[in-house]
Amino acid sequence: MPKSDTAEETKVEIQEAAPVDLLIGISSAVNPGELQQHVKGLESGFQHAEVSGTVIAYPGSGIEEAAVRDMQAGSTRLMPYSMAASDPTSLPWVVSAAAQRAICALALELKAKSCVVIHGDVGMLSSERLRLFTQALQEKQCDLVVPVYPSKKFDGLLNHSILAPLTRALYGQRVRYPLAQDFGCSSRMTQQLGENHSVREHSDSTLLWPVTQAAVSNYQTCQVNVDVQHAVQTEGLELSAVLASLVGSVFAEMERYAPFWQRVRNSQPVALSGNIAQQVSDGETVDAKPLIDSFLLGSRNLQEVWALVLPPVTLLELKKLARCAPESFRMPDELWSRIVYDFALAYRLRTINRGHLMGALTPLYLGWVASYVQEVAARSPMAAEQRFEQLAKAYEESKPYLVSRWRWPDRFNP
Amino acid sequence: MWQQIEDSLRESMGRVFTKIATLLPGILAFVFVLLIFLVIAWLAAMLVRRVLMAVKFDERTSAGATTLTEWAPLHTPTILVTKIVFWSFVTIGVLVGVSAFEAASTESGISAYVFAYVPRVIGAAILLFFGTVIGRFLSRSVLISAVNLNLQYARLLATGVRWLVFVLTAAMVLDHLAIGGEIVDLAFGILFGGIVLALALAVGLGSRDLVSRSLEREANRPVEAPVEEKLHHF
Repeated sequence: MPKSDTAEETKVEIQEAAPVDLLIGISSAVNPGELQQHVKGLESGFQHAEVSGTVIAYPGSGIEEAAVRDMQAGSTRLMPYSMAASDPTSLPWVVSAAAQRAICALALELKAKSCVVIHGDVGMLSSERLRLFTQALQEKQCDLVVPVYPSKKFDGLLNHSILAPLTRALYGQRVRYPLAQDFGCSSRMTQQLGENHSVREHSDSTLLWPVTQAAVSNYQTCQVNVDVQHAVQTEGLELSAVLASLVGSVFAEMERYAPFWQRVRNSQPVALSGNIAQQVSDGETVDAKPLIDSFLLGSRNLQEVWALVLPPVTLLELKKLARCAPESFRMPDELWSRIVYDFALAYRLRTINRGHLMGALTPLYLGWVASYVQEVAARSPMAAEQRFEQLAKAYEESKPYLVSRWRWPDRFNP
Repeated sequence: MWQQIEDSLRESMGRVFTKIATLLPGILAFVFVLLIFLVIAWLAAMLVRRVLMAVKFDERTSAGATTLTEWAPLHTPTILVTKIVFWSFVTIGVLVGVSAFEAASTESGISAYVFAYVPRVIGAAILLFFGTVIGRFLSRSVLISAVNLNLQYARLLATGVRWLVFVLTAAMVLDHLAIGGEIVDLAFGILFGGIVLALALAVGLGSRDLVSRSLEREANRPVEAPVEEKLHHF
C-alpha cells in the first residue's frame, strides 16, 4: 500500500479522535485566511455528526502549517500532508496530480469511507457543493463523482476537442471533464487510485485519470453540476507543451488499457445530478485568422512530419483544407477524430520522437479550433454544447478505424 | 629517328600490356571475390531480415524509453541490423579481394595498407551515420518548434541547422579518413567562422535600428491593462 508522508502521530491522533467518514483533500497550496473562512462556513453548513467525521487535508509545510494550526479552533479536524517536491517547471496539472495521489494515499491510511479531492482555490469547500459529492457517493452508491463545470463557448477547448470525446469513445463513459480538478471517490475507488499510483510511479503517465480507472474497474461514475470555475494560470504556458503533457498522458493511458477499450462498443450516459449552472454567453467573437495562419504555416512546413504519421487520404484532405478560403475553413469531425487516432497510434509505435509528434499535432489542433470558432461564432452556448456532442459521436463512429489500425498497424492504409 | 620513336613506343606499349597482363588475374580475382561476397552479403541480409521480422525485433526494441525510430523515423532497428550485416560482408569481401589481388600480382604491401585503413573507414561510417541522424533530428526539432512559435522562416532555420551539422560531420569524416589533410581543417574553420561572423554582423548591424526603435517604443508605451483572452484552450 502506498504511504503518505504525513507524521504517524498525527494520523493516529486523527483516527483515535473519531472514525473518518469523509476526507476532503485540497490538491494545491492554500491561503490560510481563505481556508479559515471556508472551514467556518463549512462547520455552520454541516450537521454536528458530519463535522466530527470530516477531516480536511491540506498541503502543509512551514508557515502555512503554523498559520492553519493557530486558527484550528472549531471542531473540524485539519491535517497537513506533504507533497513530494516537484520540478518548478512542471505544469499545474502534473503538480495537482501528485497531490491528488498523495490525498488518495492518505485516505487509504485513515480508512476514510469517502474522499473528496478539491482544487486549491477552495471554491468547492462549501457544505452545499460538498454535499453534492457526498450524496452521490453515499446515496447513489457511486464510486466516482466528477463535476460538470459551467463553461463558455470558447472555454476548455482542449478538453472538448480531444480529452472528453476520446475518453468517451475509448472507455464508453460520457463524462464531460475527464481531467477534473475536483472529484469524489468511494473507499474502493480510493484504493484503486492508490494501488495504481504505486504501480505506475515511474511510468509515462504523470496525470491522474480517475474516470479511466473507474471505467476499467467497472465502477460506477456519476457527474454533478457545480457552479464553480477554477482559473488556470496560463501565463508562460506554451500550448504545445500543455498539449504534449495532457494529450500525451491520454495516449499513454490508451497504451496501458488497450485490451479493455478495444472491447468497448458505444458509450453510455453517466448519471448527472445538481442544478445546471446558467450558461454564460461569451458576447464577443473570436478572430479565427491567427489560428488559420498557424494551421497554414504548419501545413506548409510540416508535411514531411505529418506524412510519417497520417495516411495519404488524410494528408490529401489537409491539403484541400489549406487551399480553402478563410471564411469557408471547416475541419470535418471525421477528419479530426482520425487525425487524433493516427497520432495516438504513432505515439504507441514511437513512429517519431514523442516530443516531435505532439509538437506536430499543435498546428492541426489550432486548425480544428479555427474551424470550431467560425462554426459556432453566431450560435448560442447551447448550440456549442450540441456541437461538442456531434464531435464526440464522430469519435465513436471512427473508433473501428482506430481499433483496426491499432491491431494491424502494418496493414495498407490508403 | 623515326625508327627510335617507333621502338620506344612499341616498348612502352609492350610494358603497359605486360603490366596489365600481370595485373589482370589479380583484378579478376578481386572482382570475382567481391561478387561472391556481394551475393553472400545479400543472402545473409535477407536471412537476418526475415529472422528479425519473425521474432518481431522492432516491436521488442520499441518497448524501451528511447528507440532508433524516434531519432531516425526511416530507420527501423531491423533495417539498421540488416544494413550492418550487408556492409560487414562487403567489407570482408573487399579485404579478401585485396589479398587475392596481391597474391595474383607482383605488387606487395597493398593488403597491409588497406587492412590498416579499414578501422578508419569503419570509424568514418559510424561518424557519418550519427552525424546524419543527429542533423535530421535537430533539424526536425527546430522546424516543429519554429512552426509552433509562428516563425515564417521555420524551414530556413531548420535547413540551416541541418546543413551546419552535416558540414561539421563531413569535416570530421574527411579528417578521420585522413583525406585532404590540413585543407579540410582550414576550409571548415573558414566556413564555420564565416557563417558565425556573417550572422553576428547581420544581427548586430541589421537589427541595430530595430532594437533602438523597440526600446524607444517600450519606454514610451503607456501602461496597458492586460487584455483578457477570449479563447481558452485549458
